[in-house]
Amino acid sequence: MNKPKIALYWCASCGGCEEAQVDLAEKILDLVNLVDIVFWPVAMDYKLEDVEKLPDGSITASLINGGIRLSEHEYVVKLLRKKSKLVVAYGACSAWGGVPGLANLYSREEILKYVYHEAPTVENPQKIQPQLKIKAEEGATLELPEVFPRLLPLDLVVDVDYYIPGCPPTPDVTWKAIETLLSGNLPAKGSVLGALDKSLCYDCPLNETKPEKVLIKDIKRPHEVIADPSKCLLTQGLMCLGPVTRGGCGALCIKAAMPCTGCFGPLNEVMDYGGKAASYFASIIDYSDEEEIKKVLGKILDPMGIFYRYSLPASRLRGKITVMRR
Amino acid sequence: MGEEPRIGVYVCHCGLNIAGTVNVKEVVEYAKSLPNVVEARDYVFMCSAPGQDIIKEGIKKHNLNRVVVAACSPTMHEHTFRSALAEAGLNPYLLEIANIREQCSWVHSDKEAATAKAKILVRMAVAKVSLLEPLEDIKFKVNKNIMIIGGGVAGLSAARDLAAKGFNVYLIEKKPVIGGNAARLGRLAHTELELKGIDVVKELSKHVVNNPNIHVYVNTELVSVDGSVGDFKIRLIKNPRYVNEKCNLCGECAKVCPVEVPNEYEFGLTKRKAIYLPYKEAYPPLYVIDPESCTRCLECVKVCPTNAINLNQKPEEIELRAGAIMVAAGHEPYEPPIGEFGYGLSNRVITLFQLERMLDVEGPTNGELKINGTQPKNIVFIMCVGSLNTTPNAYPYCSRMCCASTIKNALIIKDKYPEANIYILHKDIRTYGRIDEQLYIKAGEKLIRFARYGEAPNVIVSPNGSINVRFFEETVQEEISIPADLVVLSVGMKPPKDIDKVRTIIKVGCGPEGFLREAHLKLRPVEAATDGVYLAGTVTGPKNITESIESGSAAASKALSLLTKEEVKVEPIVAVVNEEICSGCAICIGMCPYGAIRLKVQENVRVAEVDPALCKSCGTCVAACPSGAMQQYSFKDKQLKNQVAAAFIG
Repeated sequence: MNKPKIALYWCASCGGCEEAQVDLAEKILDLVNLVDIVFWPVAMDYKLEDVEKLPDGSITASLINGGIRLSEHEYVVKLLRKKSKLVVAYGACSAWGGVPGLANLYSREEILKYVYHEAPTVENPQKIQPQLKIKAEEGATLELPEVFPRLLPLDLVVDVDYYIPGCPPTPDVTWKAIETLLSGNLPAKGSVLGALDKSLCYDCPLNETKPEKVLIKDIKRPHEVIADPSKCLLTQGLMCLGPVTRGGCGALCIKAAMPCTGCFGPLNEVMDYGGKAASYFASIIDYSDEEEIKKVLGKILDPMGIFYRYSLPASRLRGKITVMRR
Repeated sequence: MGEEPRIGVYVCHCGLNIAGTVNVKEVVEYAKSLPNVVEARDYVFMCSAPGQDIIKEGIKKHNLNRVVVAACSPTMHEHTFRSALAEAGLNPYLLEIANIREQCSWVHSDKEAATAKAKILVRMAVAKVSLLEPLEDIKFKVNKNIMIIGGGVAGLSAARDLAAKGFNVYLIEKKPVIGGNAARLGRLAHTELELKGIDVVKELSKHVVNNPNIHVYVNTELVSVDGSVGDFKIRLIKNPRYVNEKCNLCGECAKVCPVEVPNEYEFGLTKRKAIYLPYKEAYPPLYVIDPESCTRCLECVKVCPTNAINLNQKPEEIELRAGAIMVAAGHEPYEPPIGEFGYGLSNRVITLFQLERMLDVEGPTNGELKINGTQPKNIVFIMCVGSLNTTPNAYPYCSRMCCASTIKNALIIKDKYPEANIYILHKDIRTYGRIDEQLYIKAGEKLIRFARYGEAPNVIVSPNGSINVRFFEETVQEEISIPADLVVLSVGMKPPKDIDKVRTIIKVGCGPEGFLREAHLKLRPVEAATDGVYLAGTVTGPKNITESIESGSAAASKALSLLTKEEVKVEPIVAVVNEEICSGCAICIGMCPYGAIRLKVQENVRVAEVDPALCKSCGTCVAACPSGAMQQYSFKDKQLKNQVAAAFIG
């Protein structure tokens, strides 16, 4: 009997998602018993041509991580879409843009200029910058994929069936999602797999330690305080995004006394993660005097990086307005 | 929802209010082109009976399940049109108002642009109404008791009226005696009535004392209020009086008490003991120990012939249930800081209230106006002390009663001491209404001199005790200096101390100056915005005695319209928790200004729960809820998103 085929691919990502998949450890063997992996650039030697040769719809599920930043990404994900019954956005970058998506706060030109000319670690006296096409001295034409004006989450490029959240998704979430995908008992299209439909607080061992009213007088960054690991971090002034973030990670960061940064993304009813996060956080600042409020909120040095860390390209903001106009 | 929306759009001309600026016919034609709109019509006054009939007919004829009325603000007629829906058998909450009057025709003049905007507003309303859900009013039983906070004239008159209708009244007074500020006032008018403040209090108290329907709790303060309109759960603390009902008013205790403190009833003109009777006609007629000044020397205990004194009395907790609450917590007179207009620097500078005590035959001087044994000849009244921003410490508002009260007292002095020279320095004379203006005219006839100041007058107390009042007279534009034997400061009213504590417990708003805010200054002047809470007397701002009693009776009658009901209905546009999503993160709980949300734990799972009876539909929790679990009926994210999207995409 033919085993279901699975493809795994990476776009604009850090490689952490692959790490997480490898972290399935001996479960990888179970996976290989259950499916044929037909494409997995990080670990296997299949080429793109191999995928191109597969009949359309022959892959049961493609798990794609990373956002879409290059023309190459676009080509491959469109190919995988054609060849797959199901396309799954794997990890925060694929689902909402992730950390690389924060680059949408700058134009492509600004980014290239900085990266190839201005960054303090760059030494480029000849002012060389990558070109899309170049005739090499030997006569051959060399090509590079195009950098898109901005990074897009997967579902703005191809139709996405399911999402697996996390930066990266934990092995536990990954395995649960794979089980669901292979069970044949598929949830509604657009569902998030492997995680909870409630926020992290539901899963958090510290939730019970909250006082009746969760209000804070001051904001502290993690390095400014030695957090009491037995007490809700939010009530200690740490900007924990647990309340606004989908649960299912097992509260791993919290258990290490680090506040949630929101990598599991929003819950189903939330339209804009960063907006919701800012709204919730602003609500609990316990001052009525405007100046005091400004003083406390002024301690959030990088609101975009805090509230939109994983979701800027998928948000209502998308990015900096100048980028959108171009 | 299952059922396909069948929407009727009804566009109102509002005479020419809308039709003068918006091309109504064009809006109707446009509405017909919108998705799921089955019927669109216009009428000159949609809120009129024939207008409502058009809607009702439309609902029946076209089997509509949603209605949009494009008309005035929902504050105006949402209720009217909801009733129309209900009468036609449709759930009244399947209505959306497109406000094309206040938000369109009234604020624009360009007919073409206004018409285009009206179309967008209608399109948005259609988008929202498609997703509205039918809702049921929230109903619960009304507790027939009422608690009144404050035993001054407003509270007393309200208690009298409510008890007369057979309702149980809990009358709570923080002080050891009822009567409030009015009990300390002298003659309330110059002529006609020789009534004093205490007489009014006695008259009102007659109906209250020994009334089986009225339960008076003096020395009692509010601790907490839970529940909501129709059923408040109230906790009180009754502070010890240290003297019980066996007290026969013999006064032996006060004779032996070694502690003397200023007598507040006489505005500090005399002293009282630590054990004292607040005043002669005080109710309850019992002595009381002021624990702040008592040294527990036990001298009083030794001499009391009836063993009425118990210094070990403890505070007592009281729990009550009431369907309504009335706040009649009154005011405090403005007390000038030492040095303001010479106050506190000389016994020749007194407040208007101190003057009233002196002019009272039962007051500390038996009605004689004498300072240091002699009758003052030159008497200068300075008005607006503590009001109209006269000094940096003053409040910005007009205290309303001081003009008439000042002139009345000036006339009383003039009657008694015709040779007195009386000057009234004012910013403006506000003797409004039917009676008080005559006082002003009479004062002129009696040669009481009025002078207008702009900058606060300077009261110069020289080391030899003589006083000069200097000011720039605005009418004659001249610097004037008056040697004064007596300076009377017409002080205004300020919000009572601790009112913030009370209003926080009851959840009533206040203005910047601290007086409590009415639900609507004109339309609902004796109700708070919190349902089931009524406001009477000077707690909402300066009033004279007549006005205080009036507002007491008005608040009582408003409260009766609640208490006579068997059940109350609350608009169901409340917040509601989706338990499938709620993680019990508790963020919402600290947000709710009405204490309507609590965490419930069921099978070890924490979820938030909204008490619909307490929810005031402010939406704060909805905005704060990090997971989207909290939504407000008729304003759900999905409904609003559809509405907003329709603003941009047509």
